[in-house]
Amino acid sequence: MGSAVTHAPAREDLDMDSEPRHGPVKSRRPADLKRRGRRENLAGYLFMSPWIAGFLLLTAGPMVASLYFAFTDYNLFDAPRWIGLDNFSEMFGDPRWRHSVQVTLWYVVVGTPIKLLAALGVALLLAQKRRGQAFYRAAFYAPSLIGASVSVAIVWKAIFSDDAVVDRTQRLFGIDVGGWTGDPDLIIYSLVALTVWQFGAPMVIFLAGLKQVPRELYEAADVDGASKLRQFWNITLPMISPVLFFNVLLETIHSFQIFSSAYIVGGGAGGNSCGPADGTMVYTCYLYVQGFENSRMGLASAMAWMLLVGVALVTAVLFWSQKRWVHYEEGVR
Amino acid sequence: MQQGRNVERRTILKAAGASLAVAGLGATATACGGGSGSGDGTVTIRYSWWGAEDRAERINKTIALFEKKYPKIKVKTDFQPYTDFWKKFNTQASGGNPPDVFQNAIGFLRKYDAKNVLLDLSEQVKAGNLSMDGFRAGLEKFGEIDGKLLGVPVGSNSMALVIDKPVYTRAGVKPEQGWTWDDFDEAMTRIRDRTGRAGDSGMYGVMYLYDLYLRQNGKAFFTEDGLGFSETDLTAWWTKAEKGVKSGLFADPKKVAQIKPKSALSAELAGSEFTWDNFTVRYTSEGKSEYGLAPIPSTDGKRTGQYLGSLMLSGYKRTEHPKEVAQFIDFMVHDPEVAKIMGYDRGVPTTQVQYDAYRPTDPVNKAIAAYEQSLVDAGVLETITPHPNGADICEAAFLRIAEEMALGERSVQDAVKQFFTESKTALAG
Amino acid sequence: MSAQATDVTPAPSAKGALRRRLPGSLAWHLGSLAILAVILYPVIWVIGGSFKESGDIVGSLDLFPADPIISNYTGLADGIADISISTFFVNSLVLAVGSVIGIVASCSLTAYAFAKIRFAGRNLLFTLMIGTLLLPYHVLLIPQYVLFRNMDMINTYTPLLLGKYLATEAFFVFLMVQFMRNLPKELDEAARLDGCGHFRIYWSIVLPLCRPALITSAIFTFINAWNDFMGPLIYLNEPSKYTVSLGLKMFVDQEGLANYGGMIAMSLVALLPVLAFFLAFQRYLIDGMATSGLKG
Repeated sequence: MGSAVTHAPAREDLDMDSEPRHGPVKSRRPADLKRRGRRENLAGYLFMSPWIAGFLLLTAGPMVASLYFAFTDYNLFDAPRWIGLDNFSEMFGDPRWRHSVQVTLWYVVVGTPIKLLAALGVALLLAQKRRGQAFYRAAFYAPSLIGASVSVAIVWKAIFSDDAVVDRTQRLFGIDVGGWTGDPDLIIYSLVALTVWQFGAPMVIFLAGLKQVPRELYEAADVDGASKLRQFWNITLPMISPVLFFNVLLETIHSFQIFSSAYIVGGGAGGNSCGPADGTMVYTCYLYVQGFENSRMGLASAMAWMLLVGVALVTAVLFWSQKRWVHYEEGVR
Repeated sequence: MQQGRNVERRTILKAAGASLAVAGLGATATACGGGSGSGDGTVTIRYSWWGAEDRAERINKTIALFEKKYPKIKVKTDFQPYTDFWKKFNTQASGGNPPDVFQNAIGFLRKYDAKNVLLDLSEQVKAGNLSMDGFRAGLEKFGEIDGKLLGVPVGSNSMALVIDKPVYTRAGVKPEQGWTWDDFDEAMTRIRDRTGRAGDSGMYGVMYLYDLYLRQNGKAFFTEDGLGFSETDLTAWWTKAEKGVKSGLFADPKKVAQIKPKSALSAELAGSEFTWDNFTVRYTSEGKSEYGLAPIPSTDGKRTGQYLGSLMLSGYKRTEHPKEVAQFIDFMVHDPEVAKIMGYDRGVPTTQVQYDAYRPTDPVNKAIAAYEQSLVDAGVLETITPHPNGADICEAAFLRIAEEMALGERSVQDAVKQFFTESKTALAG
Repeated sequence: MSAQATDVTPAPSAKGALRRRLPGSLAWHLGSLAILAVILYPVIWVIGGSFKESGDIVGSLDLFPADPIISNYTGLADGIADISISTFFVNSLVLAVGSVIGIVASCSLTAYAFAKIRFAGRNLLFTLMIGTLLLPYHVLLIPQYVLFRNMDMINTYTPLLLGKYLATEAFFVFLMVQFMRNLPKELDEAARLDGCGHFRIYWSIVLPLCRPALITSAIFTFINAWNDFMGPLIYLNEPSKYTVSLGLKMFVDQEGLANYGGMIAMSLVALLPVLAFFLAFQRYLIDGMATSGLKG
């Protein structure tokens, strides 16, 4: 960079600075503005270039391709063959597909609320200023980091299997189911337990939200003699509703995409199944089986698009519903 | 020169492949399996198989022998567990980049022949690079389809009833060649009543066993292009199975599901299990008991429907080194030293020379040899038609749906219907 | 010292307050400890189990064995399927560190553009970026696989890393944009007046100030890459290229219950890097997590 070149604009900028009240834009000649705008555009797109390349190559392009594959029969060996809506009709008529939808929905509908309730409950507990708060917060958060790993899935499977800790503890209460991981209907609850175990991540977010609720509101309520429950209902909940919404949205979308823990706890998709009688055959596992084990890339793409539509619908409903129950402070939104 | 051109072509193809895929055309990029020859005439071939560590050790020793005999051929190897192996193989084959030579099984011959992946080795037999002489019990025909030689058997095995010997002794059951299904049912009851253990681990899901049962009745699981039995046949088979599970003759499927990948036999959930005869080796290392081989029950007191199954070695159709691949396979099936190293790891050696070269001394392997000899002596061996394209998916579906039925998730009727639906889709593909 | 002194001789009123607060505090700690016990149980279980004989792990209710054995760990030296454990660790490390570098570099560049440069189309691109945040990854799974296969890149690390260098992880871009927007405007405005170009401002002013966001992103990236299972499962074929996650899965498939102790020990060893990172950086992680939610 030659110093002569950089010097000139610098002085202009300095001039601009000397009269900031009028606003820098007004004082500029149109030609300068245009030049500056062009330079900003250039810089902007230069900085953005990795993202733009990634977006086109790895997101937008593949989405178009995937949409095309969804209407083809494609086994990787032969070129994709257009078959119209056949993949979709096969999918809807396939009991295994419906089963995987059921398993996934059940997992989402049972797991997410329990996880969020646990997160909120513990966050309320931790929100009290006590010694050791930071320690507990960190310890409760830790499972969220390792919960997605293969290691934890293996441990989980062991803990919930026949004659292991959970089974034995249950038997103390006279309930003998012979281990959760061998039961087609129970095994999904071991996955629910696994996701609830990871309540730490939403809890941390709740905690941050709770800290932002102004103390004065509670003090005023105390003066009015409102009970703690009332305070929670009338102050806390509305004040943290944006955070609650964020957590609901994030956790729901994530739950729909559960894969590795279902795959490992279910014993891998080896032999084409996942869990006893497909007990952990969640949507993505079935997608994996059809795409990568049965080489049916077209059908799997159609399944992926159905997942997208499903998730988009749920997201839309959540966004629509937030008008009714999410309170944003004036000026924030 | 040749190298340089290849590289260039590859780069162009990559770029083309990228833009094509983005445009939504998943056109199969034509293969260009980079030159593996070098100036001094040394050739490198890639060899993949499925298996575990001990097999790897043995195979590496045999490869050292091979490379000593053929100093101009280098062999690069890799291996995985069974399911991983086929996943990887499928990827590589579809990308035009499979190994030059690989382990193969009967269920995959037609599948990959239809996809133009398998090398017809008969050319190499004619050229004298591979000998198909000296095989036992007609095994040289095992890998032939429509006049093409697509795989060369390296080790034979056969279905058997693997039993927990002490359990059978305690129950006072002595299975003998020629025993019938009625005898078998009675044995199951006796084992349950006298030892408190289920007799069998879950025979209803084993496709290869049902195949034998069908053969005993003049049918077979697969025809050349479809299923060789009716819904009525399967309904009968699974109705009987359902009763067996309910009455405790067969192991509790919930428990069996939880100990996977360990077998129900070595986990002492059942007194016996229908599987391949060489699995006794695995069970012996896995479990605490002593395991033996019993004959397959028959319908008429004679015919068991059995055949010798086998692992095979196959080549890649577009390998750059078909001659070396053939020489490699030839060495692996005929060299006596190889047999001494491999033992019965991949089954009983298929050629007479190798069979004679290795005589097992340990009781487990001795029992396997004796079992296969008894099949030959009893004259029950038949031939097998290679499975149709999609058979591997049918096998997995059979196992899974049978398990669902046993777990009570499906009625027999529903299970049968589901299996036929899924098979139809798989076999059409 | 002074705090101690007041404890020893409490004023009468403080004593009353203490008495009133004590049960609440006790209950609070008991509650927290109870939750902690549930949270930590699996972790303690796996630590204890790794020192037990294979046959005693599942059935035994004792957390720790009477006679601990270390053969589960020493046995790991044999490796899995002829491949030493360290190979898997090196592979995972290469992928994780590679991902961290990619994410930090590419996402900060993108975030800078969104936060600090006024260019035409910025709002549209920002909306698209946020859109990808909610996009299920599985829609891209198959076409990306086909793409990389056609480019002959299966069984390489490229498919697992490329996206990281092209800022496809919208979450981190978003995190950094939020952070950069909150930086005092005066700093970069002053720099602009001094004639600094965007790259100078990005490099010498914004990046150093963004350190907390960068560290948060880096740690999350590392942990995600380390834990990733589906990506390697789909793209890697050769055991010598496997990551720790895949190695572990292979261990389960091959030795399974025959070597239960080894499996448990290996599971624990595989978690160690993540746990170590967590202990060292938990503040960044939790704060990062908290801010992401608040500003969403």
